Amino acid sequence: MPRINLGDGVESAVDWLQNHLGWLFDFINTVLTGMYDGVETVLGAPHALLMAGILAVVACWLRGLLAGVCTFAGMALIDSFGLWDEAMATLSLVLVASVITLLAAVPLGIWAARSRTVSGVLRPVLDVMQTMPAFVYLIPGVMFFSIGPIPGLIATIVFSMPPGVRMTELGIRQVDGELVEAARAFGTTPRDTLTRVQLPLALPTIMAGVNQVIMLALSMVVIAGMAGAGGLGESVYAAVTQVQIGGGVESGLAVVVLAMYLDRMTGALGQRVSPIGRRAAAKAAASVRGLAFLRYRPGAAVATVGVVVLALVAGGMNLTHGDDRETTASGPNVGQGKQIKLGYFPWDEAVASTYLWQNILEDRGYKPTVQQLDPGPLYTALAQGQMDVQFDSWLPTTHKQYMDRYRDKLTDLGAWYGPTSLELAVPEYVKGVDSLEDLKGKGGQFGGKIVGIESSAGMMGTLNDKVMGEYGLDGEYKVLSSSTSSMLAGLDRAYKKQEPIVTTLWSPHWAYGKYKLKKLKDPKGAWGKGEEIHAVAKKDFGSDFPDVTRWLKKFKMSEKDLASLEVEIQNGGKGKEKESARRWMDKNPGLVDKLAPAAGAAS
Amino acid sequence: MSRLHVEHLYKVFGRRPEAAVKRLESGADRDELRADGTTAAVIDASFDVEAGQIFVVMGLSGSGKSTLLRMLNGLLEPTAGRVLFDGQDLTALPPAELRSVRSRKISMVFQHFALFPHRSVLENAAYGLEVQGVPRAERERRATEALELTGLKGWETSWPDELSGGMQQRVGLARALATDADLLLMDESFSALDPLIRRDMQDQLLELQTRLKKTIVFITHDLNEAMRLGDRIAVMRDGRIVQNGTAEDILVRPANDYVASFIQDVDRSRVLTAGSIMDEPGSALAVDGTARTAQDVLDAAPATVDADTPVAELFTPFSHSGDAVAVTDADGTLTGVVTRDRMLAALGDQPRGPEAPLAKESEREVTADA
Repeated sequence: MPRINLGDGVESAVDWLQNHLGWLFDFINTVLTGMYDGVETVLGAPHALLMAGILAVVACWLRGLLAGVCTFAGMALIDSFGLWDEAMATLSLVLVASVITLLAAVPLGIWAARSRTVSGVLRPVLDVMQTMPAFVYLIPGVMFFSIGPIPGLIATIVFSMPPGVRMTELGIRQVDGELVEAARAFGTTPRDTLTRVQLPLALPTIMAGVNQVIMLALSMVVIAGMAGAGGLGESVYAAVTQVQIGGGVESGLAVVVLAMYLDRMTGALGQRVSPIGRRAAAKAAASVRGLAFLRYRPGAAVATVGVVVLALVAGGMNLTHGDDRETTASGPNVGQGKQIKLGYFPWDEAVASTYLWQNILEDRGYKPTVQQLDPGPLYTALAQGQMDVQFDSWLPTTHKQYMDRYRDKLTDLGAWYGPTSLELAVPEYVKGVDSLEDLKGKGGQFGGKIVGIESSAGMMGTLNDKVMGEYGLDGEYKVLSSSTSSMLAGLDRAYKKQEPIVTTLWSPHWAYGKYKLKKLKDPKGAWGKGEEIHAVAKKDFGSDFPDVTRWLKKFKMSEKDLASLEVEIQNGGKGKEKESARRWMDKNPGLVDKLAPAAGAAS
Repeated sequence: MSRLHVEHLYKVFGRRPEAAVKRLESGADRDELRADGTTAAVIDASFDVEAGQIFVVMGLSGSGKSTLLRMLNGLLEPTAGRVLFDGQDLTALPPAELRSVRSRKISMVFQHFALFPHRSVLENAAYGLEVQGVPRAERERRATEALELTGLKGWETSWPDELSGGMQQRVGLARALATDADLLLMDESFSALDPLIRRDMQDQLLELQTRLKKTIVFITHDLNEAMRLGDRIAVMRDGRIVQNGTAEDILVRPANDYVASFIQDVDRSRVLTAGSIMDEPGSALAVDGTARTAQDVLDAAPATVDADTPVAELFTPFSHSGDAVAVTDADGTLTGVVTRDRMLAALGDQPRGPEAPLAKESEREVTADA
C-alpha cells in the first residue's frame, strides 16, 4: 500500500491559503473579534450582581420566580468564586458562536429538508465536523486567525453546527405531509408554505437543535481555552494542568451553572416562540395548583422594564466610578506605553517568569498583556508575530520540533535558566532507593510500574529507549504513559498513603517544593545532559523592542530564586499570579533595576 | 361543455415516464411496466363532471384514485393528458397561475382532515382566504359563515385537537367552502370517521349540496358511500376507470367481474329503486288472461310509489298484499309495476357480469328511466 501524503498536501494548502487569502481571514477575524468584543463589553460592563439580576429577570420572565431566584443564586456563586469576568467571557463566546452557528445551520437545514441532494452532500460533511478532533483545526485556526477568542470561536462553530442543521432538517421533514399538501392545495406559495406551516410546526424540534448547539458550544470552551479564548475554559485548563483540584472544581461548577442557565432558558424560549408549545405550557400551568407564586411570571413588558432599569443602574454606576484602571509606571518610562504581548503555557516556571516580567515591564512604562496558550498555538503565534515573546523554551530537546519548524521566524533570546534535568523520582520515605541502579530487583515494591507523563513527551522517549535499557529495567518495570496531571495526582495519592511510587519528573518543578522527593541518581548519564530554558521571541522583536531585547538577553535566574518565586505564586493562588509576583519582587528589592537597567533608574 | 373535463390522463412514476405512456397506449399492461421499475398509477382516465354534480371515484387502495384526484388541481403533474376546468387547461398553466386557480376556484378536503394544529378553528377555516390576501376582518366574517354552514358556530376560538374527528372534518369542510371555490375535491374525506358520524357527514354534505350546488369530485373506497352520494360513479381498478355510470348502472349492469364482486356487499334494497326494477305496465294488464285497465292495477296495488323510491320501502306494502305495487310518474300516470317476485329476484340475484339475466331483462326499463 503506497503512502498517501494527504498531510503534506494539507500543509501546503494551509500555506497557500495563508499567503493568498490572508486579507479574507483578516476580514473575518476583524468581524468576529468585533462581535465578540461587543458582546463581551455589554455583558461585562455591569457590576456582577447587577448582571446576575438582569439574567435573573430574564429567567423569571421565561420560566417563573423560582427559576429567577435560582439563577441569581447560581450567578452569585460564580461571582463568589472570583470567576465572574471569565464567566462573562465564556458566555459571550458561546452566544456569539451560537448565533453565527444558527444563522448558518437553520438555512442549511431548510435547504437540506427541501433537497435530497443537498441533504446527501451535507451528511458526511456534518459527520466530519462533529467527529474531527477539535485540535486538528485549532492550530490552522491559530495560523489563520491569530490566537485569542477567534480560533476557539471557529472551532466552537464547527463543532456545534451539525445538530443545528440536522434538527432543522428533521423538524421540517417531520411535518405531516398532508398538512404541506393542504397548504399547496389552497394555492400557498412554497415560501409561505415554509413560513406559515413547516417552520411553525418544526419549531419545537428546531429549538431542541438550538439548545443542543448552545450546549455543545459550551462544551467546547475548554478546548477553545487552550488556543487563548480565555474565559472559564482557560481557568479549567490551567487548573487541570496545574493539578489545582479546588480551582478546577470551581471553574467546572461555573461552567455547569452557565450550562444549566442556558439550557433552561433556551428550553423555555422554545416553548415561548412556538404556538403549540405556548398552548402546552398554558395547559400545564392550568392543571397545577399550590405554590403558584413560585410560578409567577411577569409579562414581557414588566420583564423589559426590569432589565432596562437594572441596565440603567449599571450604566450609571460605570459612569460614576469612571475609569480607574489606568496604571502609572513607577519607574523610568522606557516603554512609553508600548504594548507587548507575553505568552505562556501553564508550566510553573513559565507562569513565574512571565508574571515577573509583566510586573517589570509595567514598571518600565510598557503595557504588557499576558495570555495562556498551549505550546503548539503559542509557537505558531510567535512565528506569525501575533505574540511577542515567551519565556519557557526548553532547548535543545523538548521543544526541538517547534524550533525546527519555525527556526527562521523566531528570535532566540538565550537561556535564562539551566541546566534543567530529567529524572525519575521517589518519595523520601522509600528507603534504600537513591539511584537508578537501586531500582533493579525492587519491581515488586513499586508494583512493576513507573508512572510516566504524555507518551508524546521527549523524556518518555528517552526513558523507554535509553534509561530502561542502560539500567536493565526492561521487563521488570512497565512505563505507564498518562498525562502530567494524572502523574502528579498519582504522586499526591501515593504520597498521602505513604505508598512506594516511582515517577518521571524534571527540575525545576514545584513538586520538589511541595513533597519530600529524591531525584534518583543517574551514574551512567543515561538521561543525557540537561537542557536550558530560553526566552524566545518573534522575528522582529529585536527591532520592535530593543531595550527589552537587551534586558532579556542578560536575564538569568538561579534555582533558588525561581523556586521561591514559584512557591510565592503557588501560595498566592489562582488568578493572583501578578500580585504574587509583585510581592516576591518587593521581598527582593533592587531586582528590577538589576534585570532591566534604565538610565535614571538607580535612585 | 361540462364543468370539468378530463381526457386521456396518465400518471406514471419512475424513470422515463413518457416512454411508459407510449407503451401503455400501444397496449402494454401495468405489470409489464412494473417489471421495469416504473409504476403506472393512472392510465388513460377520461370523464366529465357537470356543474352541481357529485362525481364519485371509487376503488380499493392502490387503484390510483387519489393520484387521479391530485392531478385535477395540479398537486401532481399529469404525465400525459389534459384537465379542463371551465374550459381552461390546468395542465398548461404556469405554477403561479395554477396556484391562483387553486386558491380561488378549487378547494380540497382531506382524509385525515389536515387541519393546521398551530391555528385556531377560525384561523383554519380562514386559511384559504388568507392565502388569497383577503383582509382580516372580511376573511374572519366569511370563515365564520362557513363554520356556521357546517354547524360549528361557537367553536371558532377552539383548537383543532380539542374537537372530535367529525367536528374536525367539519372544519376541513368549512375551510374548503370559505373560499367559495366552485370545485370541491374530497379525498376519502369521511373514511377516517366512525360509521354513524360518517353517515351524518354524508347527510350534511347532501343537504349542503342542495343549497350550494358545488361541483364535487369525491374519492372513496366505500361502495355504499359512493352509491349514497354519487350522481355518477367511476370505478377504478389498477389505474384504469373500468366503469363510469350511475349507481344503478353499476349495480344492475356491472361492466365486469371485478365490479360485480365489488358490489356483492352493497345493500341493494337502498340503492335499487322501484323505477329500476319495475316491469312494463302491460305485463300487469293481462294477468291470468283477464284484461285489466291501468285503473284496475292502481286500485289493486297495495301502494303507489314513484320511480325514485328505494326498493327497501316496498317491503311493507308487500307484507300485506300479493298484488304488484304501482309505479307512477308525476302526473299519476301508471309507468310500471313491481311484483313481489320481481323484487325478490332483483334483491337476491347477484349479478355475475354483463350477461346476468336480471341485467338483460331490466335494461330497457333502466334506459327509459335514466
